[in-house]
Amino acid sequence: MSEFRYLETGANPASFNMGLDEAVLESVASGAAAPTLRLYAWRPSAVSIGYFQGLHDEVDLGRCAELGVDVVRRLTGGGAVFHADELTYSLVAPESHALARGGLLASYRSICSGVIAGLARLGVAAEFAPLNDVCSGGKKLSGNAQTRKLGCVLQHGTVLLGVDPEAMFSVLKVPDEKLKGKLIADVKARVSSVSAVLGRSVGYTEAVEAFKLGFETILGGLGEPAEPLEDERARALAHARERFANGDWTSKR
Amino acid sequence: MTGSYIGKPAGGKLLRLSLEWEGGAVVRAAIRGDFFAHPEEGFDEAEAALAGTPVARIAETFARELSARGVELLGLSPADIGAAASSIVASRAAEDGGEGGS
Repeated sequence: MSEFRYLETGANPASFNMGLDEAVLESVASGAAAPTLRLYAWRPSAVSIGYFQGLHDEVDLGRCAELGVDVVRRLTGGGAVFHADELTYSLVAPESHALARGGLLASYRSICSGVIAGLARLGVAAEFAPLNDVCSGGKKLSGNAQTRKLGCVLQHGTVLLGVDPEAMFSVLKVPDEKLKGKLIADVKARVSSVSAVLGRSVGYTEAVEAFKLGFETILGGLGEPAEPLEDERARALAHARERFANGDWTSKR
Repeated sequence: MTGSYIGKPAGGKLLRLSLEWEGGAVVRAAIRGDFFAHPEEGFDEAEAALAGTPVARIAETFARELSARGVELLGLSPADIGAAASSIVASRAAEDGGEGGS
């Protein structure tokens, strides 16, 4: 199995984060870079919505503006995510790679095994929950989204280090305001976080180490920490500007 | 006529369908939700190609248009779109005392 490139890019604005995932996809597709695992976070906090979601269905834009929360539409499908206290990963590999084979569901399961291995390093026992979640004790700790472009698979996902349903529903829309209390109670019942499971606060830096080692075991090797290629960073900024921070893209549905 | 549907098909993801139709044919169908499909652009095109198709045949048209573009779905099926469209038309027909829908 070829060695994966390892990037840890810290916390960045939403449009840059999504722009860099796309730029990495292009680099792996062209052969300019090896298959890549990237770990990152979001500053400011952000809401990302799935490619097929309606912006105005999902996001309270006024509240996001008041709170300084970024809003971005992803390249991938899936649901709306409030990115605050979490670790995010993205993995890009050619579609011929073992992690991408066997159909979509099998591929989700394969790549999510890296998330499960990372959680195990932190002392959290977790399992894959189809279609695209990772759960511990029946509660969701991680949501994942995959697409395929340019002959490559891109899967990115979040690992909740802490969770605050009230903050989440202050920026995400609910179908009926009267049901907000119930929805918050539902999320508390269905969603947990690494810190809640372990009964201690787990921050980004600790999680990065654990997930680097966890993914390394399923990838069969991980290169030394690297920086994005110069050209990759430039393309990430261009994608951020032209697509991910562009209102036409954000409101396309 | 216009109508919309929000629901979670069995085994699927949340689906929102906004439908505009006239004389039994689709004028515009907007499909939103937290499902997955790739290539995404192929899905966009298949969705746009629903214009003009009879509402009653929306599922098979959508299946054909997706297949022609090699689109793979997860958490959504063409049958879900057919069921959602039928539900929109039926509820509009009920509101209109049986006159609506075609």
